[in-house]
Amino acid sequence: MKTIFKFATLTLMMFALSAYSFSASKAENLERGVTGPVGNNTSWSGYSTVSLIPGAGLIPITSTTTVFYIGFTAGAEADITNMVLYTTARGSSTITAVTPVTLGGISNPMIDLASVTVCPVIEISTFNPCIVRLDPTKLVLSALSDYYLAVFFTASDANNNSIGLTAPQFQQSSLRGTYISGDETRLTVGAAIPSTLSFSNQPYSLMYVMNN
Amino acid sequence: MKNLYKLATMMLMATVLALSAFAQEPAPAIALANLTEGQGSVASSGSQSWDGLSEFVLIPGASLMGASSTTTALYIGFTGGSEADIGNMVLYETPRNGSTVLKVTKVTLGAISNPSINLTSTSVCPIQPVSVTNPCIIRLDTVKLALSPLDDYYFTVYFTLDTNNEKISGLGQTASPGALSGWFLYGDQTRIGVKGALPTNENSDQPPYFLAYVTNQ
Repeated sequence: MKTIFKFATLTLMMFALSAYSFSASKAENLERGVTGPVGNNTSWSGYSTVSLIPGAGLIPITSTTTVFYIGFTAGAEADITNMVLYTTARGSSTITAVTPVTLGGISNPMIDLASVTVCPVIEISTFNPCIVRLDPTKLVLSALSDYYLAVFFTASDANNNSIGLTAPQFQQSSLRGTYISGDETRLTVGAAIPSTLSFSNQPYSLMYVMNN
Repeated sequence: MKNLYKLATMMLMATVLALSAFAQEPAPAIALANLTEGQGSVASSGSQSWDGLSEFVLIPGASLMGASSTTTALYIGFTGGSEADIGNMVLYETPRNGSTVLKVTKVTLGAISNPSINLTSTSVCPIQPVSVTNPCIIRLDTVKLALSPLDDYYFTVYFTLDTNNEKISGLGQTASPGALSGWFLYGDQTRIGVKGALPTNENSDQPPYFLAYVTNQ
């Protein structure tokens, strides 16, 4: 009898373990990301990229986190001063929330593009872009809002003068983007996304927006 | 300890009973779902002769819409011709935004990868003759492959070098290509092996010529 009880306990533990592994969330797209081959756009010292993630483009996947993937095509090190995600009402430019975005727990990471642990295929290029997964942001994207990912590349920085960001060649993504001189990551709630920015093109660097 | 074992046994029995009850429920019918956005309208794929050409169609992982499926169904469409003679069909898998082949999956129609499709038969194309107004859309055999958003896929079809293929036309090159894009190259491009490199897409993000939809069934 004791053996039966032991067997039952072991089986139950196995059930519990397999149920836990099934519950781990599968990677899914939250938006249609960048497709096809990418081009290269270089010299980003002192510039901010601003990428629009439109609420109208959200794929209805249930997710409590949002993960951004950014792409590099050249350079040895990318020095980022700050990264944030702005939330606005859909179609509006007034910021309703500002969420920090991090890599390795910090919002001002230095990304070693020459390291194979960061970029598995060296040397990075348009054929072998290095796609870096930022930390999951604890934010549920809503179809009723728009989102803007802003990344400022440190100014007067020789590393950033040499980096290349992915520049999509195909126009089929839901993502849009632009860039601006200066640090555009310090806007606060109530401020507006600058009206001078045009989001008619595909984004620089931002490649995918996923749940994991 | 004895009580713990007893409790575990009881819970295991309850789990087994619950699973057995669920198992008696009829399996729910799987709804047809798009895996990515297909072509939204029908056009004519132009006047070029397809004999001896291969079409590549990119199905981007970044465009997958999260429908859970272990199978993939590809639909190709024709707007002209009487018979399409296919030399071979495959689905290449590459890393997302990469060009190195990770896997090659055979694609078939009627269990063969080199079918001749009789476009004048009403059992194949119910409305005759096939045209832009009455395109003939053919569902290829379901591929046992779950598409991953972490990879890209290229559906590649080679049209045999023969006179039938001089007259066929696809339903693509539409103004609403969805998430798909395609281009063509001379020769049989369906024989690239694992670790081989796919040729560069020189036609940028043009809509596909033949591939219309990618669904779960």
